[in-house]
Amino acid sequence: MEKDSKKNRAEVSDGDGIIVLKNLTKTFGDNVVLDNVSLAIEKGKTTVVIGPSGCGKTVLVKHLNVLLRPSSGEVYFKKRRIDNLPENELNRIRTHYGFLFQGGALFDSLSVAENIIFPIRQHYRIKHWSEVEDLVKTKLSIVGLDGFQNFYPANLSGGQRKRVALARAIALNPEVILYDEPTTGLDPIRADIINELILKLQKELGETTVAVTHDMTSAYKIADRIIMLHNGKIIADGDADHIRNHPHHVVQQFINGQVSEDDLAVLRVSGTLFQAQFLPRDFKE
Amino acid sequence: MIGIMGAKVIEDMGNVGRFAGFVWQTMIACARNCVRSKTYPLIWAQMHIIGVRSVPVVMITGAFVGMTLAIQAYDQLAGMGMEERLGVLINISVVKELGPVLAAVMLAGRVGGALTAELGTMNVTEQIDAVRSMGTNPIRYLVAPRVLACLLLTPALIIFADLMGVLGGYFVSVPEPPIGFGINSRAYWSFSAAGVELWDVAVGVIKGFFFGGAIAAISCYKGFTCKQGAHGVGQACTEAFVASFICILALNFAFGVISKAIYSTFWPIKSLV
Ligand SMILES: Nc1ncnc2c1ncn2[C@@H]1O[C@H](COP(=O)(O)OP(=O)(O)OP(=O)(O)O)[C@@H](O)[C@H]1O
Ligand SMILES: [Mg+2]
Repeated sequence: MEKDSKKNRAEVSDGDGIIVLKNLTKTFGDNVVLDNVSLAIEKGKTTVVIGPSGCGKTVLVKHLNVLLRPSSGEVYFKKRRIDNLPENELNRIRTHYGFLFQGGALFDSLSVAENIIFPIRQHYRIKHWSEVEDLVKTKLSIVGLDGFQNFYPANLSGGQRKRVALARAIALNPEVILYDEPTTGLDPIRADIINELILKLQKELGETTVAVTHDMTSAYKIADRIIMLHNGKIIADGDADHIRNHPHHVVQQFINGQVSEDDLAVLRVSGTLFQAQFLPRDFKE
Repeated sequence: MIGIMGAKVIEDMGNVGRFAGFVWQTMIACARNCVRSKTYPLIWAQMHIIGVRSVPVVMITGAFVGMTLAIQAYDQLAGMGMEERLGVLINISVVKELGPVLAAVMLAGRVGGALTAELGTMNVTEQIDAVRSMGTNPIRYLVAPRVLACLLLTPALIIFADLMGVLGGYFVSVPEPPIGFGINSRAYWSFSAAGVELWDVAVGVIKGFFFGGAIAAISCYKGFTCKQGAHGVGQACTEAFVASFICILALNFAFGVISKAIYSTFWPIKSLV
């Protein structure tokens, strides 16, 4: 653990890395979600962020394109400080990013095709609609949803929505793609296709990827580097083998899906779950 | 106690400041949208939703205002033998005050509520963040078209309300009893024409411009800043309606004062001409 934090500091001061977080702290009221986190995301690599639910993974990735502003600390993109830029300049920078929201965040008043066209329409002058249609078709077939162009998000299943959102995030072939739980809610086969897609985008287009996930299979498969967040700090940082053999017991419990004795204790206290006996009002024995 | 009130005042001042910032950004975005033909379809769509579909409710509002005024005022005027002046009384009230204000209140409920609910839902489902994440300014994409549509169409809707108010008053006053009060049609209109000036109509319509802007800006702001969850959206809608309503009344009062001042300044000049 000592070694990890030293390694982080070294990377940041080198200043390489397409996105650099420096001493980032984020608080919501009294709730300290990220506590002095420093991190450099390497260009062209896939960085996976793991950690227990509620530990601040979503908050962390939202800082990478400054959808959230840090309470203190700095964010750099291509060596340029961006966390203090006004919103309209940030918008220009954000076109270099694709962002997959955990909940999809599809525009529910637009159809699937219109959702995918949205970023294109915002930033390019469209000359030939047939090209756009082809692009929508390709992006949708990548996520296995060709033919759903005219559906509305309300008429899709949760997993389908996630996949449309993924297609939208990669519509502009951005340099950096931030995925917040790309495979959650998908069946194992579809999840593996998404993993392959992430790998392919990274290999062929040299894209920088940051993915948040709970799914260790997927993490091992796609990651060049895995980062584990716990209580607002990075407690482990390294490649898949480094994480597999990490000495920290929290890391081991997380990757092996084991519950700690403390957490189990609440289930062990006899009868807590079953002692309350609520009967229907009109129940007669 | 003082501390709590102080904190509340500071918080409210902060909100006012944020709202002012929001309005400023919206004005810039509106100006940019006006010159970019790419956003015209968005404005057009909003105009359809906001404007065209509001025509019936606004017309009904206007008609009932005119009819009710006629019924209430007739006895008073007839008692003084001045029932032929009913026209001027109805028409000036409708055109100057009641038409614009009640149409605006109707719109605050119909349009403002929908805007807050829509943007609030987009906010809690991260759709506004999604717009930002794709490098688009949500104020320009979401707020400006709505504000522009409201700005442009509220005056038009007020003209509809005025028209229906005038007609409503007429159909209660002029036809023979038992349908109406049987006032001489010629007298009704000539008194009206003498009493209602173009100035009065213009003030009413110009008010609409400001009412529309206020309704849209307040509703969009409340939607953008709404708290999480269904409860947050509901609360934002209520707050937006109350704030719009109060703002309409306050603006109307301010307009009364200002238009009176302008009128009395220019009245002597006009009589010279
Ligand atoms: N907008 C917000 N306002 C207040 N608190 C917030 C906000 N967003 C996140 N938090 C807090 O930040 C903490 C971390 O949230 P976050 O969404 O990053 O968790 P997560 O690691 O992504 O969890 P999960 O795996 O369940 O998605 C939570 O305790 C939450 O209460
Ligand atoms: Mg999350």
